[in-house]
Amino acid sequence: MLKYIVKRILYLIPILLGVSAIIFALKTITPGDPARQILGNEASEEQVQAKREELGLNDPVVVQYLRYIGGIVTGGDFGDSYRTGEPVLSEIVPRLWTSAKITFGAVIIGAAVGVLLGIISALKKYTWADSLVLVISMFFQSVPEFVVALVLIMIFAVNLHLLPATGLESWQGYIMPMLCIGLSSVAGYTRITRSSMLEVLGEDYIRTARAKGQSESNITVHHALRNAMIPVAQSVGTNLGNAIGGGMVLETVFGVPGVGKYIVDSITQRNYPSVLGGALIIAMVLTVINLIVDVSFVLIDPRLKTTIISGGAKRAPKKKIKAA
Amino acid sequence: MSDNLLSVRELVIHYETDEEVVEAVNNISFDLKKGEILGLVGETGAGKTTTALGIMGLLPPKVANVISGSVELDGNDLLRMTDRQMRKIRGKRISMIFQDPMTALNPVKTVGDQISEVVLLHDRCSKAEALRRAQEMLGMVGIVPERYRDYPHQFSGGMKQRIVIAIALACRPDLLIADEPTTALDVTIQAQILDMMRNLQKENGTSMILITHDLGVVAEMCDHCAVMYAGELVEYGTVEAVFDHPKHPYTEALYRSIPSLDKDVERLHVIPGMVTDPASLPAYCSFADRCGDACGMCRTLDPKVLDLGGGHTVKCLKYTSKWEGKTDGKTESA
Ligand SMILES: Nc1ncnc2c1ncn2[C@@H]1O[C@H](COP(=O)(O)OP(=O)(O)OP(=O)(O)O)[C@@H](O)[C@H]1O
Ligand SMILES: [Mg+2]
Repeated sequence: MLKYIVKRILYLIPILLGVSAIIFALKTITPGDPARQILGNEASEEQVQAKREELGLNDPVVVQYLRYIGGIVTGGDFGDSYRTGEPVLSEIVPRLWTSAKITFGAVIIGAAVGVLLGIISALKKYTWADSLVLVISMFFQSVPEFVVALVLIMIFAVNLHLLPATGLESWQGYIMPMLCIGLSSVAGYTRITRSSMLEVLGEDYIRTARAKGQSESNITVHHALRNAMIPVAQSVGTNLGNAIGGGMVLETVFGVPGVGKYIVDSITQRNYPSVLGGALIIAMVLTVINLIVDVSFVLIDPRLKTTIISGGAKRAPKKKIKAA
Repeated sequence: MSDNLLSVRELVIHYETDEEVVEAVNNISFDLKKGEILGLVGETGAGKTTTALGIMGLLPPKVANVISGSVELDGNDLLRMTDRQMRKIRGKRISMIFQDPMTALNPVKTVGDQISEVVLLHDRCSKAEALRRAQEMLGMVGIVPERYRDYPHQFSGGMKQRIVIAIALACRPDLLIADEPTTALDVTIQAQILDMMRNLQKENGTSMILITHDLGVVAEMCDHCAVMYAGELVEYGTVEAVFDHPKHPYTEALYRSIPSLDKDVERLHVIPGMVTDPASLPAYCSFADRCGDACGMCRTLDPKVLDLGGGHTVKCLKYTSKWEGKTDGKTESA
């Protein structure tokens, strides 16, 4: 198990190197001088040159890149924001926390609603309830998140004055962003839950449970649900990526001071250290969360314990035998 | 009343799908005494599993329809019971072992939990007590009791079937229905499992319906034998009667299809023709089209079940005055 976790963390290294290299390349290709940007139009050419030297912008790109990576590895230094001069890391951490709360809430809302709808439509398959669930979840999947966001703002903030339109000053501010991001993932969870529930309910071990004299409700809860949740749990990881992507746009719509809005703002300001730092930190967080999700499968599905512990090592030779 | 534990009367079960109506079980009747083992044999699609599911009340809802008949357990008709009443009977009074042990166990629950589940459902006892009983059952079927914490995937196929048997017998049912309990297993393990089942059956005095393709198993284990063809019981009697004096041409053909070592046969005798499709049964004897002894009347009349004495029954025109003898076209190659 530990070996598996270490291996997964090592996979992170090439991913992060790739992400940072791409953004670094973008930074050098795009026109505009960061030093001039920092100092403003009034600054003299000498001042700009001095700033360039200070920022290391005169060195070859590769040297700059290696220096950047070195900074991260040795001291967790993601550079300083061009705009504020503050370390990127200390700007991101509090924003990350804000985004995490919203994303986490959104995933819980999405999964809870989706799984519930999925169970209902599986148990009531081919009835009007099943069709209704399908229509509702398709609706939330096909309407873009920001449209849902604007509609929610119209209803709850502008007309009913129940929730603040933007900002996170009170806890009510969290509700709409969470709802928007969460609802967009409902359809996915519903579909997966429905199909895996239907599959599981047709399994022989469900018949065994019936032959024991177990009641249908207990069979659904104790026998079917846990088996049906395996593919659902697997999709949480993927969904998290989407939720973070969706969050970037929605944080701007709702004026939420999160990483998403930070990155979007930094892009418009050509604040590369912030963009780069934000992207890298999100990639790391995503990988770690996916890892946690994967490891927690073992709790749901005991069969995985053996496959995860032995890892890919056992699978590889099998393929070779087939090929031979 | 009588010493019959189970009494099936004129049971008719149809599967109704959009395209067709499958007449899976047609008017079958039989009795089962306490402690008796009945072998139920017949080709694939004969309706053996359907009969078993009908007794258990586990037929797939909507598709399957019990058209008529009764299934009495100690004189109470199971078909008229509510779901609630049936749940008290399943697992407690009647248990069933299904065809494939590989998929019969829930992969995410420990085997201990799966055995104790049935105990908790039917016997008033604590969780700890039920788990203790589960371990006892594991020991009884020849598995180290300490393995109750293991999951199904950690056991071999034969061991899984033992666990399935442990579940089925945990509440000491009066009737055990075993639907081809060994078909999915290795030949060497088949004998072990059957031996074990017979011992447990004797110890507990359980009645049993053993569904199988294997006439050898029936000869070895059963008291009575019922031969099914196209949803009908074509022959029924004690194993001695049915094996030593088979009456129905289908039963005879079944025997001839068993490979034997002492007889020097060049090829296996195969029953000619296709298994009759239960979705389009003829109005006459459903075996007539494959029967070597069929006469013109056989393709006109549907014979009634005939008692030949001593409880040996057969559903064939041959033993009535209406039979006209073999017709020309078909000659038997006996
Ligand atoms: N769910 C179902 N829907 C429609 N038809 C069915 C269904 N289950 C079984 N049948 C049909 O009913 C008939 C009897 O099937 P059954 O499973 O009882 O046969 P069986 O004697 O148990 O055969 P086997 O030896 O292969 O297990 C078959 O023709 C089968 O195709
Ligand atoms: Mg069957």
